[in-house]
Amino acid sequence: MAEKAILFDSSKCTACKGCQVACKCWNDLPSPAAGEAKWSGTHQNPIDLNGNTRLIITFNETEAPAAYSTKPIGWAFGRRSCQHCDDAPCATVCPGGAITKDEETGFVTVDDAKCIGCQYCKSACPFDVPRYYNDGTLGKSIINKCTGCIDRIEAGMAPACVSTCQPDALKFGDRDEMLKIAYEKVEWLHDHGYPDACVAGDDENYKTHVIHVLKYGYEAHGQLENPSVPATVAMTQVMKPITAAASGLTVVGLGAMFALAAGYSRRRLVYNPDTQDTLDYDTSEVVQHGDPQDSESVVEHITENLPFGKGGAKHE
Amino acid sequence: MTSHWCDFQNTDVILNCGSNSVENHPVSALWLEKAHEQGAKWIVVDPRYTRTAEQADIWCPIRSGTDIAFYGGMYNYIIEHLIEPNLAKYQETGDMSEYNFEYLLNYTNASYLLDPEYEFDPATGLFSGWDKETKTYSNHSWHYQTESEENWDTTPTGDYAWVSGEGVPEFTTPTLQHPKRDMTLQDPMCVYQQFKKHYSRYTIDTVCSICGMDPETLELVYSTYASTAKPGKAGTVLYALGQTQHTYGAQNTRAMCIMQLLLGNIGVPGGGVNALRGEPNVQGATDMGMMVNEHPAYLKWSNTTDRSSLRKWLESQTYSDGYYTNKPKFIVSSLKEWFGDAATKENDYGYDWWPKVPSKTGDIDYTHISTFELMQQGVIKGYFNWGMNPCHSAPNAGNVRRSMANLDWLVVADQVITESASFWKAPDMNPEEIDTTVYYLPCALIYEKPGIILNSGRWIQYRQQAVEPWDQAKPDYEMCDLIWTAIVDLYKKEGGANPDPILNTKWDYYVDGKIDPRPVAWALNGYRVAGTECNTNSANPKTDLLKGYSELGADGSTACAMWIYSGMWNNNDAPLDAAEQPLCRRDTNDASGIGLNSNWAFSWPSNRRILYNRNSCDMQGKPWNADKKLMEWNGEKWDLVDQADFVAAKNGKPVPPNNKTFFMLWEQNARLESYGMVDGPLPEHFEPFESPTDTNPLNGAFQNPCAFGTNYESTKQGSAVDYPIIGTTYSVTEHWQTGGQTRLCPALVEAMPAQFVEMSEELAAEKGIENGDEVRVFNNRGSVVVPAVVTKRLHPMTINGEVKHQVGLTHHFGWADLFGTGDVVNDLTPNVGDPNSFTPEYKAFLVNIEKA
Repeated sequence: MAEKAILFDSSKCTACKGCQVACKCWNDLPSPAAGEAKWSGTHQNPIDLNGNTRLIITFNETEAPAAYSTKPIGWAFGRRSCQHCDDAPCATVCPGGAITKDEETGFVTVDDAKCIGCQYCKSACPFDVPRYYNDGTLGKSIINKCTGCIDRIEAGMAPACVSTCQPDALKFGDRDEMLKIAYEKVEWLHDHGYPDACVAGDDENYKTHVIHVLKYGYEAHGQLENPSVPATVAMTQVMKPITAAASGLTVVGLGAMFALAAGYSRRRLVYNPDTQDTLDYDTSEVVQHGDPQDSESVVEHITENLPFGKGGAKHE
Repeated sequence: MTSHWCDFQNTDVILNCGSNSVENHPVSALWLEKAHEQGAKWIVVDPRYTRTAEQADIWCPIRSGTDIAFYGGMYNYIIEHLIEPNLAKYQETGDMSEYNFEYLLNYTNASYLLDPEYEFDPATGLFSGWDKETKTYSNHSWHYQTESEENWDTTPTGDYAWVSGEGVPEFTTPTLQHPKRDMTLQDPMCVYQQFKKHYSRYTIDTVCSICGMDPETLELVYSTYASTAKPGKAGTVLYALGQTQHTYGAQNTRAMCIMQLLLGNIGVPGGGVNALRGEPNVQGATDMGMMVNEHPAYLKWSNTTDRSSLRKWLESQTYSDGYYTNKPKFIVSSLKEWFGDAATKENDYGYDWWPKVPSKTGDIDYTHISTFELMQQGVIKGYFNWGMNPCHSAPNAGNVRRSMANLDWLVVADQVITESASFWKAPDMNPEEIDTTVYYLPCALIYEKPGIILNSGRWIQYRQQAVEPWDQAKPDYEMCDLIWTAIVDLYKKEGGANPDPILNTKWDYYVDGKIDPRPVAWALNGYRVAGTECNTNSANPKTDLLKGYSELGADGSTACAMWIYSGMWNNNDAPLDAAEQPLCRRDTNDASGIGLNSNWAFSWPSNRRILYNRNSCDMQGKPWNADKKLMEWNGEKWDLVDQADFVAAKNGKPVPPNNKTFFMLWEQNARLESYGMVDGPLPEHFEPFESPTDTNPLNGAFQNPCAFGTNYESTKQGSAVDYPIIGTTYSVTEHWQTGGQTRLCPALVEAMPAQFVEMSEELAAEKGIENGDEVRVFNNRGSVVVPAVVTKRLHPMTINGEVKHQVGLTHHFGWADLFGTGDVVNDLTPNVGDPNSFTPEYKAFLVNIEKA
């Protein structure tokens, strides 16, 4: 199987939200109980991703280009969901192995049985995608994000969002082919008075497996022009061989740091072996010199301060 | 639709007017986007900048309810810019580089001479034939002058020999009156000259003043759309309830037809007048004649005046030429289905057993709007409310629920407990004061029963049952069967009023003793009476199904409930197997190359994909656009890509090209001017029942003098002094109508958890309202509280020199159900309507707003 991608053409998206609903249906994701759904004040509902929502269509009012003088605004519809990064930082930092990259398709999949609720992936994600649901165990948050419907793909189908898309704004196929269509469409848009139209997902330093055709440019559709892996994630990568050599477990370092962090309002920390500093994972602030690793397992460290006790609710 | 969904891809210009199609008919987007990517221009004329407007190239905001002014201005533009400057040249040289004169002259009635008495007076806003007393028109002077007359040849070798056949009811055959024509279009009484005079008043400035438009944008719209006047170019107009829900809604539809005729856009690939129907119910409801004066398949029901007997029906309804010369076959075959063996020539095939709709001026009126007045008056005491939710969807819904409280009994058949099924629980009702007995019949959802379904493009398909009905729910036909057989049994045992229609009605749609939709499909398709038994057993069904409606007879030998559906279910080798019938075809090979998909499903009539398709070719039978061919005359016969919507062959002999391109009309030419509407032969701009302005620059009548229901006290007309803001209603893609289905889907409620009122930033500032604030929207009929959406997507408009505001409300929520509850927005809409179709005016009314 060649590398796959989902193509989102914002210039053909009619913002019907069929994809949003299809995602919920296929993946059995619940919606708020009667009377609990809160209106956002705009067409965009729910207002953002949440523990039960992996995909939303965003509505942003921007300026219409000069060629479209009769239009009061440009209504930029966006597809907000996991971008399926080729070098996925969430998978890199995931200590439990819950997030992994499917090498065949390139999609970043989730095994939520392995999620330990550390939420490192949230901070690692350049697109602020991972969200968490409570699995019923007090205080335990489990990752929820788009899996690319890998179950469907393996069965020869397209992802649920793509299958339901009426205007063909969502396509699924080989990444090369999706890119070809995307670049052709952007050229078409340039020729048709949309000078800011661009492709997202094909940055030479940052490839993803969701390709966007953005009619009004990156920002209008809520996409990043130059996505990059947060510096702290890069450090954990540097640290890996060292910790691996020391303990044989790539993830121990993180767990150890979490243990240290527990005393500091559960701040999440990383160690930079070059400077021998321990840093706050989210702010990059140096909180301690030296490596605070110890020999306890990740799960033990992460769960020892949680209300349900050491060892956690193990899925294994 | 005269066209079909896939045909949108063939267009050169898309005009969405009164339709937010990508939002409310999402599948339209696929084909529209295809056309757009291939270079089609896309125009949206809509009060709001909608999700559809975002897809388009041009957005032209319009004041709700002023479409006829907009179209009238378009005609004037076409006449001034395309017809007049090029007509003389065409007549000299045949040059059609700018405009398709051949179409206008030969395929429309532009050249026909009108009765010398025909007149329109702008000072009064009235056409000739007005009766002050009854406030109705006589259409006598709207007819043509006659050149010569021709009678039907009913001799054994004549075209109409069947009239003299045994079993055919007696009637006086019509006389064909060949109209006088002036092919130079110079006679002052020719349709073109009268038309030109009529719309010369619709100048760009006047139209802008009425519609609240910007002249530059309007001209851009006109020039872009009128570019389809060139032979070989096509423009498609997409419309929905934004056009039809007005006190002149039918004239709005006429106005679109005229525009398309002037531009040669009817019957060509990528053209058409395309009504988008959301739920298959809407196409089905019109096909099935679910209105008080309509019979299934676009025939008229019996009444107390011109259709009070079968003979009168035949004489008033049978056309003198064209395909509707066959109407006697359709009505007699329908009666045979209705009354079976009891229908004989001697008893006029049971025609008099049909109830007759009161049709004298001033008679009691059973249309939708008036039904609730009759409840108020105590005339209607019991009510079957089947598959509809008028306490939510009918205009002036508060009036509807108060009316229902006068009923002795109410039966509601629906999937969920709707507002109508729980009308006494409305927040403003007091259950203690209501004595109505309410019966609720839970019905099966579409997936819980097999049956026939059709879409806007007239494609008929069959759906198998997916799951068993929930709990006690039953398919509608099973409920009908239970109720009907119980009534008949009671009549047999105890007798009762009017027994003949009840006891003579044929009701035998059983397979192995169980009610079944398949014999119903036979009835819709039509069959030879002698060889068919609807009450059948699956081991040995006996059928002689008709291949199509051309096999129908007026002599009682055939039965057919729905002549237009004939051909959809005609396989006698497997009459009980839907999969073996034309409507279940699933061949995706498209030999046409332009998306006709003729081997997928069945398109009525006769699997024709594009109606009036003869108009796709010139007078010699050559396609206007060789790349998009529906047919071609090859010198000897017609090469047909689509099914012919004209006489391509007669008695086995090919018929060479002629000008008879609209053979569903007796003239066989389309009507720019038409005597068929009750409120005027040409669309004329009138103000809505509730208008924000006090002038109508185009005529002295101000409002439609024939508007329906305006005298009911319950309408409580508001004035612009008290209610200066224009209100309109619409749907969002996340919900479906009154929400019975969608409000029970938490994911849809999550995707759109509230109703709202959209308003401009200017109006919001004036009223001190911020986005998300709860706002009270009110008028004389009701008051609702909904949150505000403050947006640049709506503008204040300058109407006749004054700045006016317009707001739009979504209308899906109500007090019933657990999810998505809220006020009923139709408490605000007026219960007045169109005099032709009786469709209510939901789309333009007056309100005021304040912060709640």
